[in-house]
Amino acid sequence: MVVMTGAKAIVEALKAEGVKHIFGLPGGAIIPVYDVLYDEQEIKHILVRHEQGAAHAADGYARVLGKPGVCMTTSGPGASNLTTGILNAYMDSSPVIAISGQVSTSLLGRDAFQEADMLSVMLPITKHNFIVRKPEEIPKVVKLAFEIATSDRPGPVHIDLPRDVQVGEADVQIPANVTYRKIPKLEPDVEEVRRAVKLLVQAERPLIFAGGGAIWSGASAEVVELAEMLGAPVVTSLLGKGIIPEDHPLSLGMLGMHGRMAANIAVTECDLLLGVGVRFDDRATGDVRYFAPKAKIIHIDIDPVEIGKNVRVDVPIVGDAKRALRAIIDGLRMQAVRQRPSKWLERIEKMRKELAPRMDYDEVPIKPQRVIKEIMGVLNDDAIVVTEVGQCQMWAAHYYIVRKPRRFISSGGLGTMGFGFPASIGAKVACPSCDVIDIAGDGSFLMNSQELATAVENDINVVVCILNNRYLGMVKQWQDLFYRGRRSAVYLGETPDFVKLAEAYGAWGDRVTRPSEIAPKLREALKCGKPAVLDIIIDPEEHVLPMVPAGGRLDQMLT
Amino acid sequence: MKTRIFSILCENVPGVMMRVSRCFTRRQINIDSITVGIEPSGLARIILLFQADDHMAELLRRLISRLTPVIDVQVIDPGTSIVREVVLLKTRRLNNDEMWKVMHHVEKAGGRILESKGNALIAELSGSHEDIEKVIEEIGADVFREVARSGQVIISRELE
Repeated sequence: MVVMTGAKAIVEALKAEGVKHIFGLPGGAIIPVYDVLYDEQEIKHILVRHEQGAAHAADGYARVLGKPGVCMTTSGPGASNLTTGILNAYMDSSPVIAISGQVSTSLLGRDAFQEADMLSVMLPITKHNFIVRKPEEIPKVVKLAFEIATSDRPGPVHIDLPRDVQVGEADVQIPANVTYRKIPKLEPDVEEVRRAVKLLVQAERPLIFAGGGAIWSGASAEVVELAEMLGAPVVTSLLGKGIIPEDHPLSLGMLGMHGRMAANIAVTECDLLLGVGVRFDDRATGDVRYFAPKAKIIHIDIDPVEIGKNVRVDVPIVGDAKRALRAIIDGLRMQAVRQRPSKWLERIEKMRKELAPRMDYDEVPIKPQRVIKEIMGVLNDDAIVVTEVGQCQMWAAHYYIVRKPRRFISSGGLGTMGFGFPASIGAKVACPSCDVIDIAGDGSFLMNSQELATAVENDINVVVCILNNRYLGMVKQWQDLFYRGRRSAVYLGETPDFVKLAEAYGAWGDRVTRPSEIAPKLREALKCGKPAVLDIIIDPEEHVLPMVPAGGRLDQMLT
Repeated sequence: MKTRIFSILCENVPGVMMRVSRCFTRRQINIDSITVGIEPSGLARIILLFQADDHMAELLRRLISRLTPVIDVQVIDPGTSIVREVVLLKTRRLNNDEMWKVMHHVEKAGGRILESKGNALIAELSGSHEDIEKVIEEIGADVFREVARSGQVIISRELE
């Protein structure tokens, strides 16, 4: 036991959890903790320019590293500015630890200056949240927060830290571990695995559908091994991209609203669908009545809430994806030699060839497909591609070939415009040796472009590739397709000049108007030694196609 | 839609009711009755009644089980459980006939008169939700100035 202030205790507790970086922005109610950070050597604090940026950066950091990202703010508006980022992390099951100051306990509930009821605000958008009442509680709360954020299905945890708790002194001890009542069920049920193996052996057209849960579980090797063993093609959700190298002969890419056509057809034709760490989101399934209509469904998920929530499931397997897949692989090994589904594989191969998307456009203005092709040509397999939200995101998701897990970072469930740039800052901090690109739209980038200052001041050299069409492009696309072209409130005009904007922050900026310039300029941006913005002028009339209209059937795509 | 009963054992900490009840709000399910008591262990037991189909009831059970402060969710079959509600009834000033009528019905239903002053009284009743409804109806709802109900407390009939 050592007597220390609550502020010191929280920093010590974070260090005990191995925290190396905090993304944050101080204010009155958190100054005591920042005063401790002033002398701190082991933790690097990265000062953001808006608290939302801190939450997204911590989220991006967590997704790349597979470990919690930490963000810190003051009370009231500081804390409430975190909410979009925290909700984003919650929807995508990302372990973010958010710490915000709070007014002193004696002022709670009196509408004190910069008081917000963050316990209530954060409650529905976190996996769990705490308000600390006494300094001596801090080490246990921090330990629990990390335990909750990372165990079973990951998710964000918020800690509300009143000012008097930071200032107060207590005898504290950093516990080695805490008793967390929720013991996750990691091992799959033997009987369910046996049933799954039986179905997989009988299947003539098996298909694996892997998502973010498979990535968090580290089940990449198992997904590939099982696919090869069964001769089963693999489709992924947006968050599952990279679980299998997407140029693998069995990879069909992303499914869903803007998925690859081959992926959507395979889902419709398969007779067995093995879902791994997916939640059968409506953007992935389309009309659930026509989702995998010929298939029996096996669903592996660590969160029992997900089983049967959106689609009917024939064999539910609650447990860790990696362990469940390993158990299935072992079970299959004990079976007599199974015939490879050669007709199905021929069909898959044919679709892969015939339905491969076209990217080699030479037009000016540049087609976005060509931009993705050029970016792919420049980056290596370890580069991290982060996306904003909207058309730019769906072009990246549809066309970009990801070869490793945790190398494609995107806002899935919440679809948060403004996520990409701060998340790419977090990604670069998590992996300084990786090239990090934010594939952005002009609309999305503007939502958090103030973080250029963060990137420049901290030498976080990410490259923003703006697919600039001067529109809120995805909304425009829907208006064009479903609202008789009535483009209401989607034209963004000719401001700003993104090159000048970058330069104003001391970043590198350049404009690209011709396809042949993309690769050389991108190489220059990556080597310029500064954060960079590449303003790529694209064809504003281009839609993201093919597309399954909202609530439509996967096999009926607009082309 | 069927009547569902959950008996939820959870940590006795501020906010736990909100965590549980928002699972229902989010899915547009109305909670018919909710009661909380502290067990001898110091843990809290929340008893909830609501209407839902099988799919929704199971989803809610899993959602509530997932909450950090929740230790256990017991699904209770209304058919094999004991359900009781306590009600305190305060009358307006009554004439003699009304007074006798109230006393008669309360005593017939196994209740008792707790207070009486002037021509008004306070009575206590316990029983099933339906039994209590029946007594109130027999006496006539216009007699009462205030009705305080405990909500339904439920325990399964199973004994070890």
